[in-house]
Amino acid sequence: MSSEPPLLELENVEVHFEDKPGLLDFGGETKTVRAVDGVNLTLEERDVLSLVGESGCGKTTLGKTAIGLQRPTGGSVKFRGHDIWEVRDGKSDADITWKEIRTSLQIIHQDPGASLNPNRRILSILSEPLNQVNAELSRSEKRERIYALLERVGMNPAADFAERYPHQLSGGEKQRVALSRALLMNPDVILADEAISALDVSLRVEMMDLMHELQNEFNTSFVFISHDLSNARYFTAHAGGKIGVMYLGELAEIGPAEDMIGDPRHPYTNVLRWATPDLSLRETGDPPMRKIDIPDPVNPPSGCRFHTRCPEAREVCKQETPPDYQAGEQRVACFREDEDHSYWNSPELSDGNLADTGTNTDVGEESGFSD
Amino acid sequence: MATQNSNPRSERGVEDPIIQMRGASVTYDEGESYVLDDVSLDIGRGEIVGIIGESGSGKSMLASSMLDAIPDPGLLTGGIRYNPPDDEPIEILDLDKEGIRSLRWEHVSMVFQGAMSSFNPTMKVGDHFVETLKAHDANVEEGMALAHELLEDLYLEPERILESYAHELSGGMQQRALIALSLVLEPEMLVMDEPTAALDLLMQRSILRLLEDLQEKYDLTMVFITHDLPLVAALADRMAIMYAFKLVEVGPTRELIEHAAHPYTRKLLNSTPNLDAPLDEMEAIEGDQPAPINVPTGCAFHPRCPLADEQCRSTVPEFFDAGEDHEVACYHWEEAIDQISLNYADSLGDRAASGGDD
Repeated sequence: MSSEPPLLELENVEVHFEDKPGLLDFGGETKTVRAVDGVNLTLEERDVLSLVGESGCGKTTLGKTAIGLQRPTGGSVKFRGHDIWEVRDGKSDADITWKEIRTSLQIIHQDPGASLNPNRRILSILSEPLNQVNAELSRSEKRERIYALLERVGMNPAADFAERYPHQLSGGEKQRVALSRALLMNPDVILADEAISALDVSLRVEMMDLMHELQNEFNTSFVFISHDLSNARYFTAHAGGKIGVMYLGELAEIGPAEDMIGDPRHPYTNVLRWATPDLSLRETGDPPMRKIDIPDPVNPPSGCRFHTRCPEAREVCKQETPPDYQAGEQRVACFREDEDHSYWNSPELSDGNLADTGTNTDVGEESGFSD
Repeated sequence: MATQNSNPRSERGVEDPIIQMRGASVTYDEGESYVLDDVSLDIGRGEIVGIIGESGSGKSMLASSMLDAIPDPGLLTGGIRYNPPDDEPIEILDLDKEGIRSLRWEHVSMVFQGAMSSFNPTMKVGDHFVETLKAHDANVEEGMALAHELLEDLYLEPERILESYAHELSGGMQQRALIALSLVLEPEMLVMDEPTAALDLLMQRSILRLLEDLQEKYDLTMVFITHDLPLVAALADRMAIMYAFKLVEVGPTRELIEHAAHPYTRKLLNSTPNLDAPLDEMEAIEGDQPAPINVPTGCAFHPRCPLADEQCRSTVPEFFDAGEDHEVACYHWEEAIDQISLNYADSLGDRAASGGDD
């Protein structure tokens, strides 16, 4: 192993939002939304990291924090060893500028339609990044480069597509343009935020294959955000990357893709696995959790945040926060990984005493799946 | 080659159908382009049917046709019959406006993707229930009692939900509240068009699980329209596959997954990311599906099909028997089963070997 610092390194990252009371909300208190808490991650060159979890688990906030679009309220985000926010604030003597960092870290969104200017032709949309990073190129050189990339992403004839407006493209084509725009910045990392979720399932493999090919050609890493474990598996395993499972702002488990699918350790990873449709027609039965809805991140449950829904939860899970345990190549935040832990002698949590947990009753529901 | 025992689908059907569609077509531009092309399909009373198609395959048109709810200026032709449990059959296309109004909600209810746009943002969720009951001259008190029960069935707290505005609820709660609303007039049948597509997978699966319970408890017929075949496979008794505005294959879910007979269905199954298949065997279907103005002659799938021959290019295939209650519109379905292997076949074998088959 080289002693080079990782491409991206997140240490104890925390993102809390102040949710100020509305105008009509007299006497309301300022609430803190704990979107991300205590996350440690690294991303190497030409690596893939997938972040999975349900809506509201903080995966998008964490992804944006990793690429410098969101400032963490605690911890650090380092790009090739440099704390990016120190660079931003001019407190770093690193030989890298904020602009270089921002150029190196790009994003493609779930809805490419909304991120492409509807009043501009594709050629003009794709010229923009080149004007920024390759301003020295002549107009015809830029055009040539854009055509070549459009052809590379399968938009033939390129000259025809280049003259179109975004509304004249299909969803898959728009996403290819968004991907091209990101690649023209020569980034080191692309955050793909649910970038394939809006596509028909039948088109997803093709798009992910294209992203893999381009990853090799452009030497980029991906942070891939998805609520779908089978997409995350496909995208991550092909690139030999890791899947991180997030729950209410925390990493519940992280590890190599096939280990996470084949041997999910955290009860919540197991829930996501249950939720992933397969074609083997196995009887899947009830979900392995006690409640359908995720608690409010404004007031997350005490101890292990998953304890209000976890089928394995015991009294201790309510009191103590599990540390990270190493299980093979997986890192798991669950007491069950420690066979000597007091968890094993702790009384089971029944649905009856779930009402007095940290669950915010404004949003959480008290009805459970299994009675 | 084609087998001898081919049957046009219109001569067959299910026992006790609640909906019988015969040659339903939807055209725009004065018949120039078809967005639903000669679809015949029976929905059996009490069954859950998944209608699978990619974006732009006509699957939403199929759903809207069942309620004569085609957006203007589309023209719906063909026969669509609704058979009430103990009354005379109703020809839906013969109904006047009032007839359609009472048919929808009271007999056949619909739920679309994106609950947010179905709720009026200035009205509490509970008011939607009351308004709906009043608009159909139903007893509000009894109706609200049912509303409470339905919300509880969907793991929602009735009091809180009814007192909330839609925007105060999470997406998953909104969509469940909308399903409860669609059932408050005790319809026989629920038609859902991508009802969970905007939600995360865990919520989608949870809702599907609840739909299964609702179906049993209220003895409902359900039609679930989606592009996501594996998702609905866990719920549906039967599946109908659409390609280019036509049905191409219909059969019981298990039969379709184990013995899919249309080359399109088999390739669709192989293109779907899943947890069981070896990674390098998932592959996209080459080419694009056709637009309404540009549907290929003969079998519309022929430009993308490895088995296509002259006959496929010239003549639209009728339906062939490919097993019990299993029909496929392909001349070469036997070769398809033979030559296009399914990438998850091994996991099916595991299940059979471990005696998991019921």
